Formats: sequence, structure tokens, C-alpha cells
Amino acid sequence: MSTAGAWLRSGLFLLTALVLHMALFSDLRVFGVAPEVPLAIAVTAGLAGGPERGAVAGFAIGLGIDLYLPTLFGLSAFICTVWGYSAGLLAARIFRSAWWINVLVTALATAAGLLAYAVLGELLGEANLYTDRIYAVMAVAAAYNLVLSLPLLGLWRWSWPGLLGEER
Amino acid sequence: MATGTRAGRSRVTLVFLLLSSATLLTLDARDFEPLQRAEEALADAISPFRSAADRLFDPVGDAWAGITGYDELEDQNRVLREELQKLEGQRILDSDAAIRLESLLDELGLPYVQDIPNVVAEVVSANVGNFDRYSLQVNRGSGDGIRNGMPVITRGGLVGRIDGDPGRGYSQVTLLTDPGFEVGVLVVGTDDVALASGSGHAEPLMVTKGLEVDTEVAVGDQVVTSGVDRSRYPPGIPIGTVARVDFDEARLLQLLTVEPSANPDNLSFVTVLLYDPLADGP
Repeated sequence: MSTAGAWLRSGLFLLTALVLHMALFSDLRVFGVAPEVPLAIAVTAGLAGGPERGAVAGFAIGLGIDLYLPTLFGLSAFICTVWGYSAGLLAARIFRSAWWINVLVTALATAAGLLAYAVLGELLGEANLYTDRIYAVMAVAAAYNLVLSLPLLGLWRWSWPGLLGEER
Repeated sequence: MATGTRAGRSRVTLVFLLLSSATLLTLDARDFEPLQRAEEALADAISPFRSAADRLFDPVGDAWAGITGYDELEDQNRVLREELQKLEGQRILDSDAAIRLESLLDELGLPYVQDIPNVVAEVVSANVGNFDRYSLQVNRGSGDGIRNGMPVITRGGLVGRIDGDPGRGYSQVTLLTDPGFEVGVLVVGTDDVALASGSGHAEPLMVTKGLEVDTEVAVGDQVVTSGVDRSRYPPGIPIGTVARVDFDEARLLQLLTVEPSANPDNLSFVTVLLYDPLADGP
């Protein structure tokens, strides 16, 4: 598959993920917490495709969700870019990606990403992000993304069949 | 060598994307209008897909809410039954309060909410993230005459206001439970205009400014929007009922805890009042 074709599939995948997040996953709340699909998308993109694809996918999905959040435009994009890139670096340099490591990394990265989002948002003047509820949100969203990570990794492999692992 | 080049390229990509994010953050913080227009255009482009998906997955979300919120629903039912009984008993008192409110508004020469043009909007998403508990999105926007700051009500009273410039077919609503939400209020039967603010999810509103100690306020009194000159809310919209009265002896003010009359949770439809006092002004 050509690079353009792979990016086209990725684009369609990202648009579908964004729409599904807003129309479906944001309603599937446990203790008032929804899955953090954008972070899961960014981290699994990094794990499956390396740092560059992780960063680009993170930026795109973060920008998409920023359109619908009341916080500053670009905040989610910033966090998801860093998290996608870092996951790609981890996968490439620190460990070989056994499935259970990928799943665990997605969950831990989700929790850390939410904390980073709340702290950075507060530093930029957004109210009500770093509250007593933050740790509960981190725990439930991490558990949710633990479950989502395997299908997402599979979908990224579908998006980049010929390119997978090239950057490792 | 190829690996080194690839690593260098991915670093360049990272720096470019981070700079882009930082630029967007800065421009948005400064309310850069072309960026807001671009945001609206992008959201409008995605909205047909979202609407279709919303229609498709609504039953799934409802079923999930039914499963996970069964205990909560039972509790809500119990509370509602109790409230219904109380309301039956207070019907006469309520009508008295309505008469007092009507006479007060007459006296002040203030218009009624019913006369203000309005748009009924469907709530398409309570919130899409885990940090936006004080906002929701509705399926009406600038194409329907909605503008930034317009009041959003239900039959129960004020629930929030339009936040930011709406897109053509959607708007963001900030709920009155948002700790940053402030509204000028009047306790029915008094003349003091005070300021009420949100205190967080499922918490009552607090009135901490503007109510002198000698103003007679009692638990159970009705609180409505004051609608003072150039207020973004018209007068007389119900806000809630006084649940507690405290005194700030240092500032010689009364502090009120107000139980909102409209429940901002689980809303399906809201009414946006097309009220823009600045546009109507001279």
C-alpha cells in the first residue's frame, strides 16, 4: 500500500474515531467518566506506527476533539501530540511490544495524559480541571482505555499494513 | 543512516506540531476571530457525520444509562415522589409567589420572558470529555439567531447561557452550576440586586454579594434574575429557592444558599432566549 493510501485510511479511521467518541463513547460513562478515546488513539498510534505517526495522529485527533471542548483550542492537540510521540519512542527504544505491554502502556499513558492535561490547562488559566475528581477520572479512563487498546492497535495495523514497524 | 534520518524527521515533525499547538493555544486565548471562524467551519463540516452517528447510537447510550444508572433512577424517583407531595401542599403558596413576582415585575415595568423570541434546541451532547461537566451542546446555532451570552432556560428556570460564538447549527452552553457562572438576581419581594454564582456539579448556587443585612429574606423565598440595565439575562427568570440564609458579619451582607429550580442534569431540550440587551440598546 502507498504512503498516501495509508494516510488516507488513517484519516478515515481518525474521523470515525472522533465521531464515535462524541456520539457513542462519551455516553458510555462509568461513575460519570467516559473513555478517553483521543488519548488512546494517540498512544496506540505511537505504539503501532512509531513516534512520527503517533505525533501526527495525536495532533489530528486532539485538534478534532478540541473543536467540541470548552477548554482552549489546541490543548488536547498539544497533549496528544506529546503522548503519541512518547509512546512511539518507548515502543522503539525501550521495549519490544508484547501485546500486554502495549495494553498496559496505553492505560498508564491515559492516566498520565489526563493529569498532564489538567495541570497544563490550569497553568493556562482554565478552571475546574485539577479538582478532587481528577484521580477517579484517571483510574476509570485508564481502565476503559486498557480495554480499548487492543482493538485500536488492530485498527492501526489495518491502517498501516505495509508500513508497520518501519520506524522501529 | 536511514534510521537516523527518520529519527531526525520525526523530531522535526514533533517540533512543528508542538509549535502549531502552541500557536493555536495563544491565538485562541486572544480570541483571534479568523481562528474561531475556522473552528466553526471545521465543526460544521463534521456535524452531519456526528448527527447521523448520534441518531444511530442514541439507543445504545440510553440503554447504557439505564443499566448503569438504575440505582440512581430509583433514588431520583423517590425524591421526585417526595417533591411532588410537597408541591401539592405548596401549590397555593406558589401561586402567591407568582402573584408577588408578577406585581413586582409590573411595578418595575419589566418585560416578561414569554414575550422574548426564543428557539427550542435539542441537547445533542451533555459533554464529550471528562472535564467539561458544566457544559453541553445544542443543535441550534448562529443560523437560528443564537449569539454568545444568550440565556438558556427550561420550564424550571435558568439553566445556563450560550458560551462562545456558536456554529451555524450548534452552540455550546455553560451551565449555571459552573463555578465561573455569575448572574444578577433578585429575591422576590426585595429591591436588593445581588450576585449568584455556581458552586459545582449538583451543588446549590451561592449568593455572596449585594444583599444587605437589613433586607428581609427567608428560607423558601423565590430568587429570579434581576435584569438590571444591560444585564445579559432578562428579568424574572426563575433561578431557585432560598434554602439557607447566613450572615457575613465582617462585610455586613447576607449569604444565601439557593437550590436551583431547574435541574441541569439529563436535559433533552432547552429554550434559548434570543435576548441581546446590547443589540437592543440605543
